[in-house]
Amino acid sequence: MDKFSFKDVLILFAGLFLTGIFGWLILSITGHVPSEIAKLFFEGAFIGTRNLTNTLNAATPLILTAVATVVSFRVGMFNIGVNGSMYIGALYAAWAGYRFTTLSHFTHVSVCILIAIITGALWMLLPALLKVYAGVSEIITTIMLNFVAILFVSYMCNGPFRASPIAPSTPRILETAELKQYFPNSQFHTGFFIAVFVSILFYFILNKTTFGYELRSGGDGLVGFYPSRYSTYLGIPSDRSAIIGMLISGGLGGLAGAVEVLGSVRNFYQELFFNQGFDGILIAIIGKLEPIGGMISALFYGAMKNGGLYVDYKTDVSREIVVILISILIFFVSAQKIVKGLEKFEFVKRLDKLFSRKVR
Amino acid sequence: MAKNTNKTLAVEMKGITKQYPGVVANDDVDFSVYTGEIHALVGENGAGKSTLMKILYGIETLDDGQIYIDEKKEDINKVDIAINLGIGMVHQAFHLVPSFTAAENIGLGEEPKSKNGLIDWEDLNNQVSSISEKYGLKVDPKIRMIDASVGIQQRTEILKTLYRNANILILDEPTAVLTPQETDELFQVIRSLVDEGKTVIFITHKLREVMEIADRVTVMRAGKIQGVSLVKDTSPSELAKQMVGREVFLQVKKTKSKPKDKVLEVKDLWVHDSRGLLAVKGVNLDVAKGEIVGIAGVEGNGQSELVEALAGLRDTSSGEILFSGTNIEEFSPRKRRRAGIAHIPEDRTNTGLNLRLDIWENLIGTSYWRSPLSRGGIVNMKRIIEHSHNLKDNYDIRAPGVGVRLQSLSGGNQQKVVVARELSEEPILTIASQPTRGVDIGNIEAIHKQIVDIRDQGNAVLLVSAELDEVMAVADRVGVMYEGEFVAWVNPKDVDQSQMGLYMAGIKD
Repeated sequence: MDKFSFKDVLILFAGLFLTGIFGWLILSITGHVPSEIAKLFFEGAFIGTRNLTNTLNAATPLILTAVATVVSFRVGMFNIGVNGSMYIGALYAAWAGYRFTTLSHFTHVSVCILIAIITGALWMLLPALLKVYAGVSEIITTIMLNFVAILFVSYMCNGPFRASPIAPSTPRILETAELKQYFPNSQFHTGFFIAVFVSILFYFILNKTTFGYELRSGGDGLVGFYPSRYSTYLGIPSDRSAIIGMLISGGLGGLAGAVEVLGSVRNFYQELFFNQGFDGILIAIIGKLEPIGGMISALFYGAMKNGGLYVDYKTDVSREIVVILISILIFFVSAQKIVKGLEKFEFVKRLDKLFSRKVR
Repeated sequence: MAKNTNKTLAVEMKGITKQYPGVVANDDVDFSVYTGEIHALVGENGAGKSTLMKILYGIETLDDGQIYIDEKKEDINKVDIAINLGIGMVHQAFHLVPSFTAAENIGLGEEPKSKNGLIDWEDLNNQVSSISEKYGLKVDPKIRMIDASVGIQQRTEILKTLYRNANILILDEPTAVLTPQETDELFQVIRSLVDEGKTVIFITHKLREVMEIADRVTVMRAGKIQGVSLVKDTSPSELAKQMVGREVFLQVKKTKSKPKDKVLEVKDLWVHDSRGLLAVKGVNLDVAKGEIVGIAGVEGNGQSELVEALAGLRDTSSGEILFSGTNIEEFSPRKRRRAGIAHIPEDRTNTGLNLRLDIWENLIGTSYWRSPLSRGGIVNMKRIIEHSHNLKDNYDIRAPGVGVRLQSLSGGNQQKVVVARELSEEPILTIASQPTRGVDIGNIEAIHKQIVDIRDQGNAVLLVSAELDEVMAVADRVGVMYEGEFVAWVNPKDVDQSQMGLYMAGIKD
């Protein structure tokens, strides 16, 4: 896979343009006025503090799950279980959020996040160990653990962590555990900055540290190819890299769950639904398995999601049509060969040179 | 042999020009092959041989020039067209489905259909058997490719082209992956193909093979034709000069070795192979500082397992491996490397390199962890790039820059990346397994010189090679392995090739 570059940002918008053409057709056929819907879509995604911050808020967990996917894929482990870790992290963040009552704000939030990271990581320990020591495909174990996670959190908020006799839910987290929300009518919260920080941090770790080099030396570009003979041969302990990579991935999944609970939802209830772990895989791939690429793709994806919701809320266009349009969009932005067409334009070449940090 | 009396041209390429960004791969190349001849196309890595053949086979499109097949102008811009014109190509890396049988691979896309529209497997198997008998290409149609040796896989590839009625066969470095026996068998096959009226284009950089099998030879260098000659009118040194553009010393220049204290001692070592069979049977071996110990032998006689055991990539069953007096059997590969052992592995694509990483990332594989390339776990990119450029220049790695995906380099340049990384560490002991496999003649000379240099600096080298010439030229002392044991230890100066041949066949004095 090539590196994430300016071209890839262009692909996102080229995809949007092509989707626009299809959307025009679909909306015309279903008896809507496409230009109005397009305007609303754009407005919902970007215009005004409330819409813009909602977009950023939608992107927050996606950035984290995308980075989680990036880390595991780049050590050569095919982790499909970030969603499971997210549920686990969310549950334990909620638990820590109401359970510890005497902590200061900063300490309380830190403790909640730390517990979510640890539990999310531990959730991935079993598949990592099974892969390394017994050769069990991590694809199978992590997919299965997603189901286990849902059932487990459902049991916990029905049983041990249940607060309300009416609904299966944990108590609301204490105010000291809340991530601050900045705007009225918007759930945008500190979690966004955490997510941006994490993706920059992992850009640094993967590219600028010896630890990152060891992590990716065996796996890079070889998703699902752990264990690589190359890293064993160099004397890089690839077993250790594989386990650490999975734990980091799970930990970031847990963190994604934590920011959702501490920032947006503020308690954990049985019907709480996450699929950002799966979207994260898609976003990570669109972002060329790079943390910064993942962040940019997540922001884009968040905007599309939020624009779609806005159209759904403001018009009588059915939710299904919005989902179809977003699916078409994903289809187009995954079509890497669109780049080939774009490269014909001289300004694209020049911009790409400017923005890509290639080693000569 | 040469049936050049009628002199019809099977292939004629005129003024072929092909540019890649930054490189002219073919520069106004004229190339022609007579019907029924074996034509060798030689040149260094990156000389443009493969590009020229890919143009002929329709994989690459030409920027300028014309192609005539059987003296008719053709526009070959797709592989299908080339196949319909009777051109077949066997690539250096095979294109086979591992889980399919030989016949399934051969028939893929051109399966014979029975009346009810289903694939007629019996017919396919019969066709494959009959073609394989006709040309002496022994392949069991029902063998699965995962279970087949490299030689069988290659024959399957050749059968694939014959099944599609190829009359002009392009073989891209076919002997690079073969043992000497398999090479002999391949040559017999090539001769029987020509006897049946086929034309063979044979890409190689092994001059001995050119002299042995080809009728005519075309030499390329830097995208241009350097000369076309009849093999009987030329000599290896003349060809080498044309290829490299200067005099090449086919002999390795070195002084007498001055062995000092023993650095590696192997005592009664037993190792199993991946199938659980005994591959190394009670081997004793020692290597001293200041000497190059060679291991000769037909591939598959335990050399690979011995090397892997020494490098820490394979468990031993019993015996001792002492490095500078310390038993290193329990040492991890990393610990062995840090003790001063370097290893050039025989398999560069999966073991020695990660082709999906950039050149610089592969070059720092053994040195990234210490100053000046990194400090406190943070890498110093400026130093790394400097270091990589130094290695690139010193080891003549031909690439537009060090930030290039390794995959895009030719096999020989990839090998130079491995050699550069390993030898630049100034190891006390270098275990070099097939260090010049796939490397062209000018660079073989350079790698041999580097190996002799590290010996002269007082370090030890263990050289394992399937190329008998290489072991005899470079090593100071040679052991011959046969079925997991050393059958003889010789001084290469005191023994001739035929005696070595007997040892390699397991015949002791």
